[in-house]
This record gives sequence, structure tokens and C-alpha cells, in this order.
Amino acid sequence: MTARLHVLLGQGGVGKTTLASGYALALARGGRRVGLLGVDPAGRLRDALGMADIAELPVEVPGAPGVRAALLRPGDSLRRWAREELGQDERTAKLLHNPFFLALADRLAAATDAFAAVRLAEWAESDPALDDLVVDTAPGLHGLEFLGKPERLLSVLHGRLLRWLSAAATAGTAEREARRVLRGLSRIAGGGVLVELAEFSLLMERIGAAMIGRLERARSWLRDESTELLLVYVARPGAAAGARLLAEELHALGFARGPVVLNRALPRSLLTLPLDGGTAESRAFRRYVHASVRLQEETARELGTSFRVVEAPVASGLDAEGPAHLAALEALGASLRLALAGSGAS
Amino acid sequence: MHGFETLHKRQTEEPESVTKIPRVLFVLGKGGTGRSSVAAALGSCFAARGENTLIVEWTFSEAIAPWFGQPPAGHEARELRPRLSVMNFSLDSTLREYFVGHLKLRLLHDVVIANHHVQRLIHAAPGIAELLFCGRIFWLTALAREEIGVDYQRIVVDAPATGHGAPLFAIPQTLAAFDAAGLLALERERVTRMFADPEWTGAVVVTLAEELAVDETLELVPRVHRDLGRPPLALLINRSVDRSFSGEVDPHWLEELAASSGRAERSALRTLYRELVLRKERERQLRRAGGALADLGAVPLEDRLLAANVTSPLEVVQPMARELDFILGDVA
Repeated sequence: MTARLHVLLGQGGVGKTTLASGYALALARGGRRVGLLGVDPAGRLRDALGMADIAELPVEVPGAPGVRAALLRPGDSLRRWAREELGQDERTAKLLHNPFFLALADRLAAATDAFAAVRLAEWAESDPALDDLVVDTAPGLHGLEFLGKPERLLSVLHGRLLRWLSAAATAGTAEREARRVLRGLSRIAGGGVLVELAEFSLLMERIGAAMIGRLERARSWLRDESTELLLVYVARPGAAAGARLLAEELHALGFARGPVVLNRALPRSLLTLPLDGGTAESRAFRRYVHASVRLQEETARELGTSFRVVEAPVASGLDAEGPAHLAALEALGASLRLALAGSGAS
Repeated sequence: MHGFETLHKRQTEEPESVTKIPRVLFVLGKGGTGRSSVAAALGSCFAARGENTLIVEWTFSEAIAPWFGQPPAGHEARELRPRLSVMNFSLDSTLREYFVGHLKLRLLHDVVIANHHVQRLIHAAPGIAELLFCGRIFWLTALAREEIGVDYQRIVVDAPATGHGAPLFAIPQTLAAFDAAGLLALERERVTRMFADPEWTGAVVVTLAEELAVDETLELVPRVHRDLGRPPLALLINRSVDRSFSGEVDPHWLEELAASSGRAERSALRTLYRELVLRKERERQLRRAGGALADLGAVPLEDRLLAANVTSPLEVVQPMARELDFILGDVA
């Protein structure tokens, strides 16, 4: 894979989606071909980009030449893969109506993280000219799951479970234990569930094989030297502890320590604003500014000195609509790019 | 003015159809809106009213116990204050307690559940962890007193962020698609019963008056209404500026402040002010909103930064608990 991967991680509400969008726009401004993948199941990327909808497959972002955006939609991806791998026949139809498949495909976010890595690799495969892929992850440690344990879901899709299930149906001493387990399972969940599960595993085997290949490529891409993992935080009570915990988890997963991005950074010099005088409203505002900067100082102190902190300044103009909004996003992304380059992180 | 106003009205005007604050309150909302702060504040508030209260988190990164100066609780309830405890749900411990403690089926646990293929299946199968999470709350409210002598009068659930948390109430329907029997079906029936009872289960939604959070809230509220069969009890607008900020657009003093500052400071001051104005505006829209939000009481929770320096989470939680106590009045 030749494209460079940028992954934004962080607790909920720190501005990952906004920063990821801005970063993608700023990268594309330099003439690069950029992909932007929203992994967050809440799908806020379309709001950030002012788009009516973003599909599972990449679409051009209107007003931002060079940027293509897509949302992770495990259900749509699964259905597409089923058609690609199995063709449009009875087996595909059967799979698409299997309750395990339906539950997997439609309802639950549990699958999202595992699919993200597979989609990354698929994107790079289908667009060899891609220069950068920016990924906006789910909040908190959910965002890390796809970095660390993408095989969690795939272990079920994998043929091993199927072989184990069918072993239980054949005679032989080695299979006795499997049969005991299955009898126990049918007591817990009922026999119907087991039949559905076996059917699901059988049909999913080929899709699973394709996914596993992509997953392995994605895993090495994530660990490539060029990959940039950006841990984003904002100044708020308890933020330092949250950021440190995410950093520790990243470290435990074997990723190199990258820069930490302080989003919505305020100039410290605002503390020189006098608190007295003026109207009540003006005093309340200055007090708010002081309290915000003090909170930022305290958060930095709690974070400690072992992190390379890069600042993305509090951005103006994001509340505008249309082209002005995209321009403000891009300006934010450009400051982040500059700050990362300045810190020697990029 | 009061957010639980609709409840209050129903209670005073129609005594025969009294709606109480349900025993189990799910706190839902987008990440970063302050769900954990609200859960901790609600918990503190119920505990201060003399109710034995448990806050249930389900997270990799436990927040609440450390805020109270305690080590992370893990799966065992840890007391934070008199009558206030917190626990962090663990799927493995719950399975063990369910089979060994509740059903007295140690062999079934050791042979079936502990089997590594089954373990993988449980952790990956969609909906199972969520069902057992809700099943655990059923057990805590319906069976724990009899089985282990622990009785919580109130449970506050700090639900996972919207993306992962919203489907919780849809779990019974999701699992209805499976041809399930046995214990899985029993557990599903229990959770369905708990969700169906308005005196047992309710939800509050936390939001910020910010664009992305409001958009997410507008999707979350009807979803909760549909899945639970009734609307959330209230919409809590966190970091409200409504009371202490008039929201005048570009006042002359702001221009004076900006004129005497450097370029970066000027930009930051204008942005911070503009954000407050927008928050005020969105808050008004939220309170007046029709459609999905029409049935909801909107409860503003004041932004502490407008009143004081705030550096630790407890400095947010304690005043919030006092606000909520006032808002709840004598409803609960």
C-alpha cells in the first residue's frame, strides 16, 4: 500500500470528525488524492462536510476537489461482499435472510470496529492512485478496537468454527467434547439458533476468506512507519486522564507513541485580560475566557510532560454554511498540518 | 421551566395516572456531552434523598470512581458515598455469576461457556453482550435482594455513547429474529418486561447545544421513543448558557476587547463569543422544538465555566446534582 494512513482517535466530543474533515481538505489542497472514512457509527461526518448523505462507497465531496468521503456501513458492505463473492443466486438470497446475517448487518454497532480495517484495505485496493486516507474513528477505546483486535469478529466468520460445528455432528471420541458443548448450547439458546448459526457460518466462509486477506493487509498498513496516529483531546475536567489511558492502550497494542493533538487551543495570553470593569455581560464573558484558559493549563499539567503536544487553535467560521464552512474547515486542517510539520511529527 | 415538568403535571393533575421517575434510568447521549457527569450527579442526588443507589457504567475507561478519589470499581460495586455505589459491567463476570451463582449450573458454565469456541461466539455474536448487560440490570432490580441480599432502590445507567448505546432498547426486537429457546429466550423475555414497564425503565438524553450534538440528539430521541415505546423522560441541555448570558450579537465591548488584543487572541475571543451566542440560540430552538422533541421537558444544566473556575470533574458533578435535585422537586 503506497497511500499514507492518518487515524484520529480520542474521547467523544473532542472534535475528531471536524479535525479529520479539515485535515483531509488541507491535504487535498496540496494536490493530493485523499480519502476520508468515517468509522463512527453515529455518522456525523456528513454534517461536518455539509453533505445530505455519505454512502458506503466513496463519493466526491462537493466543493472539495480531490477529497472522496465514505461512511463505514457494515451492513451495506456485507451485502455488497455477499453479492461479489457468491453472485446473485439462491445462496446469496438465503444468506441475506439469515437472522445472524441480518442482526450482523443491520442493527448492531458491535461489528463496526472490525469492519473498519477491512474497508481501509479494500479502499486502497480499489483506488491505487490514493495518496492519503484519513480515518475518523468511534469515540474512546471503541476507536482502538479496530486497531488492536480486528480479528474478533472475523474469528466467527472464519471456517474454523464451521469445522468445529460439523465435527460435532460426526462420530468419534475426539468429537465427544464438541457434542457435549453443543448439547449445552442448545439448552441455553435452543436448537434453532444452532441451525441458523451453522448455515450462516457455511455461507459466510467465502466472504470471510476475502475479509481475512484484507484484514491482514490492513494490519500491516496500520503498523507501517508512514502511518500517523493522532490522539485528540480538548481541555475539560477529566480529559487528561482519558487521553493518558488511550495513549497507554495504544502503547499496549504495540503502536509507537505519536503526537497528542490539543484541539480548540486558546492563547495563554488571554489570561492577561482584566477581569474588572465594563458591563456585567462583558465581565461574565472575560471570566468565562479566564476559566477556559485555566482549565486548559490544568489539563496540560495533568497530562504531564511525556507527550509531544501539538495544538489545533480554536477555529473560527465553522458555523458558516456552504463554501465558507469548507474554507474554515480547510483552514483548521492547514493549521493542524503546519503544527504537525513544525513538531517534526509529520 | 422545570424539565421533568410534564411528569410533575401528570402527577399533580391526574393522581390516578401517576408517573414516577422509574427505578432504572438510562442516561443516553453523544460522546462528550457529559453523560457520565449527569449519571454521577443523578446518582448523588438520589443517594442524598436517602435512596440506596447504584450507577452502572459499561466502558473500557472507567470515569466515575476515580472522580470520587477511588480506584476503578470493576464489576463489583464500590461505595463512593453513603448509599451511592458504582460498578463497571463485565461480560465474563456476568456470565459466570449468571450460570454459577444464579442458576447453580457450574458444570454448564465450565463445559459450555468457558469453551473457547463458545467464548469467541459470545464476544462476537451481535446482541449477546447487550442482552446480558440489560439482563444484569433486571437481575439487580428484580432478583438481587432475594439471592444476595443487596437491594438498590435506584439504578442509573451510564449507557455507552450514542453509536453504541442507542441500540440497547432494540435488543429484544433484534433477538426476536433468532429462533431462540431456552435461557436466551428467558433472558429476552425478562428484559422485554423490564423495558415495557414505565415505572421500571426510563431514559434521559443528554445533549450540548452544539451542531453535531443536536443533530445526533434529533436522531436519538425518536429512536428511543420507537424502541422503548415511549419518549425519553427529559432532554438535559448540558453546559447551558441561557441563564447567565444574554446573547447580544457583536456587542461594542467585544470589539474593544478584540481591538486591544493580538491577532491570535482576537480570533479566539471572537470565536468563543460567537460560540456562546450560537449555543444560546440553539438552546432556545431545542426548548421550542416540535416534532420528535415536542413531548420532552428540556432541562438546562448551567455551564460552570460561566460562574467559576472548574478544573476537576467533581466541581462539575456537585453543582449539577444540586440543580437536578431542585428540578426533580418532589417528583421522584
